[in-house]
Amino acid sequence: MLKYTLRRVLGMIPMLFLVSVVVFFLAKAMPGDSLSGEIDPTNTNPEYQEEMREKLGYNDPVYMQYYRWVTDFMSGDFGKSTRYKMPVADLIGEKLPNTIFLALTSLLITYVLAFAMGMYSGRKPYTLGDNLIAGFNYAGIAIPSFVAGVFAVYFFAFKLNWFPFAGSVDIEIDKGTIDYWISRIHHVMLPAFVLGMFSTASYTQFLRNDLIENSRKDFVRTALAKGTPMGKIYNVHILRNSIIPLVTFLGFDIAALVGGAIITEKIFTYPGIGLLFLDSVNNRDYPTVMAITMMLSAMVLIGNLIADILYGIVDPRIRLG
Amino acid sequence: MKRKSMLWLFAMILVLSAFLAACGGGGSDDASDSDSGDSKDGEKATEEQSGEPQQGGTLTYGLDATPEGLYNWAFYGIATDAEIIEFFDEGLIEYDENLQPIPNLAEWETEDNQHFTFKFKEGVKWHNGEELTVNDWVFALETIAHPDYDGPRYANVETIEGAPAFRAGEADSISGLKVVDDYTIEVTFDEPRLNNLTNIWSYPMSQKEFEGIEVADMSGSEQVRTKPVGLGPFKVENVVPGESLELVKNEDYWNGEVNLDKIIIRVIDNTATVGALQNGDIDMISLQPVSAPDVEKLDNVEVVTAPGLSYYYVGFKLGKFDNDKKEIVEELPKYQDLNLRKAMAHAINREEWIDAFFFGYGKPVNKPVPTAHWIAADDSEVNVYEYDPEKAKQLLDEAGFVDTNDDGFREDPNGDEFVVKFSHYATGNPTFESRSQAIAQYWEEVGLKSEVEMVEVNLYYDMVEKDDPSIETFFGGWGTGTDPDPSALWKADQLWNYPRYNNPDADALLEQALSVEEVGDDQEKRAQVYAEWQKTVTEDVPMIFIAELDEIMGVGENVGGFSMDVSGYNNPAEWYLEK
Repeated sequence: MLKYTLRRVLGMIPMLFLVSVVVFFLAKAMPGDSLSGEIDPTNTNPEYQEEMREKLGYNDPVYMQYYRWVTDFMSGDFGKSTRYKMPVADLIGEKLPNTIFLALTSLLITYVLAFAMGMYSGRKPYTLGDNLIAGFNYAGIAIPSFVAGVFAVYFFAFKLNWFPFAGSVDIEIDKGTIDYWISRIHHVMLPAFVLGMFSTASYTQFLRNDLIENSRKDFVRTALAKGTPMGKIYNVHILRNSIIPLVTFLGFDIAALVGGAIITEKIFTYPGIGLLFLDSVNNRDYPTVMAITMMLSAMVLIGNLIADILYGIVDPRIRLG
Repeated sequence: MKRKSMLWLFAMILVLSAFLAACGGGGSDDASDSDSGDSKDGEKATEEQSGEPQQGGTLTYGLDATPEGLYNWAFYGIATDAEIIEFFDEGLIEYDENLQPIPNLAEWETEDNQHFTFKFKEGVKWHNGEELTVNDWVFALETIAHPDYDGPRYANVETIEGAPAFRAGEADSISGLKVVDDYTIEVTFDEPRLNNLTNIWSYPMSQKEFEGIEVADMSGSEQVRTKPVGLGPFKVENVVPGESLELVKNEDYWNGEVNLDKIIIRVIDNTATVGALQNGDIDMISLQPVSAPDVEKLDNVEVVTAPGLSYYYVGFKLGKFDNDKKEIVEELPKYQDLNLRKAMAHAINREEWIDAFFFGYGKPVNKPVPTAHWIAADDSEVNVYEYDPEKAKQLLDEAGFVDTNDDGFREDPNGDEFVVKFSHYATGNPTFESRSQAIAQYWEEVGLKSEVEMVEVNLYYDMVEKDDPSIETFFGGWGTGTDPDPSALWKADQLWNYPRYNNPDADALLEQALSVEEVGDDQEKRAQVYAEWQKTVTEDVPMIFIAELDEIMGVGENVGGFSMDVSGYNNPAEWYLEK
């Protein structure tokens, strides 16, 4: 197991390197740079732009810029954001907690809802309740998150006034108090729900189908014949088997949630990594784009690793060599 | 089974039609008629001023773009940050509604437009309790002139005598700055210029606050990002980066009593603007033309407009520019025919276009200066190209552009196919494509075959700047500041003269307008010279001037004391909330 993990971690290094090459050259191939775009002549002048391009090394050949970036990156220097004019590490550090908080809340909502609905649907398939849940799920899968987000803001924030429509916290509340955390949770609920909707739907259907499939297996019939109560069969015998594939999703979720929150964060003006990433791409803020891409790539790889390791743990049939 | 699927079909159609109806509602229907609805020209304040301003309360101010978080005049880069700094810091000079400089924190005197003496107000305090002295200003100027400085403001310091030497590291201080005492300073410029005063950097920086911070680290420091201090009516209490700011009343404000207790600045997504205004979640926000018609329908919000300082145009690429030699090196033949350019200008129905794409929040502009600016010539003094397709056709006939092969479009004087290529930048905004198609359509109506090309915005400006051969006619916009001098956008030796307009007479007029010997302090004469320049430009039609847009604010009914003109809105200290 340890050997397997080590081998996988080592295997990540060339992968990350390749990702960095592709992303860096693609980013540089984007037209314009952080100084171009719509110009406000009252605020800048051509000499300044030229000077900054020289200072930032944009006039050097791309491979030299890459070399410079990669050597800095290896020594732990992620560079300075050209847009925010502060170290990228600090910038990400400022936004990351928000995104993690959003991702965890979303994960929690997803799992609680998926378990509740999936269990119900799986035990009582083809009933009215199952159909309603299925209807909800297909809507969740079909509606893109940017539509769902805008509608959620409109109904739950503006019409019903249940949730705030933007932001991560009410600024007037003192940091660190109970109220502060309540306010944060209050702010995160709506985007977390929208973010988790898609995976809730797919997990629910997954769990339901698995439960139905397992309930037809021989060991269930055996248990039933031995007189085990139905509730116990479902909660102990079937569920344990059905959970296996679901648990392994957790690994993939880690990366997907952080990276997938871009649109949701934009609609809810929730200041996290996704919003930062979007802004950086639009403004050709190369150091920030690169740092976030590398972070997300690393998380995808680690997430996959975790998923694979979890397979081995929860399913005795799989042994990692 | 059959019935069930019919039921589903019916349900789906219902759902779809609901979507379509929702989309149609926000469209362009009757937007043009509603423009004068309940909007007022920056005069919201008048009717409410009968009541006494009330004290206290928290006002929420919305922003529909994310600030970068550089809350210092010397370091900010985008307009959103400036909108925030406006609340808590101010400069030595202000501008009145005619964009003339007026004293704010300092008064000035000059004999020759080269040597200035500034006298600071005494007893003005920074938010950290320190008193404002001329040293804070010297500090700001030296910061900007410092070689490590990474902001774009050096052009505003460059003209002070000795600044280039200081920047090159040859001097320890800027020789043109002479501190007389804590409240008096003499500033010497490298040469007399009429716009020395409007050009110079007029925002002090608290020297005490930045003590011990290297210039290179300043833009990332908390003094700039999260704990900025200023001189303005509100103090920054709390910053949640990228999301919101809490500003509280400055009890020691030098310029009168501040009415509000607090201002909360919130960043919101522009899809939420209308809903947030309606619910009172935000009291004020600067609006995009597209959402203004919806806001006008709200009972609790008023739309206030003021003339803006930017204009849109369609440019013709007339030449190629060499940025190393700083001159126009080649003339492009395709649009050199003056009658062709005039005809293309006459072909465009600007009123209709502005109503359709800016919902009436703008008007046609006829010259390279926004009408609200004091140097703007009267329309009677310049060549105006009204919408007149007949005249356009006639001009084209005269120029030899006639349809020789009966394909419905005109050929050029040599009988070759003539296709106008029109480029426009593309962002996420879906109206850009239709508005450029509309312009091409106007040209086709007078018989000029036209093609539209949408180019990703960053690439677009790159291509326009480098005179890429695929750019022939192009859409663009310029903003002008309070300083009237348009040289950077129009002279033949300037990179940003995108049409590559090359008329020595026009350049001579621009130089004359700035010359101390010929024009001196005479503002009227200066405006006269600029008017002459505008006439020359409009005669040559290097670009078709399309529209100038209004600045639009959505202001809650409960907000009083607010007014807006071309120089921006009034001092936020005067705003109040009605209970």
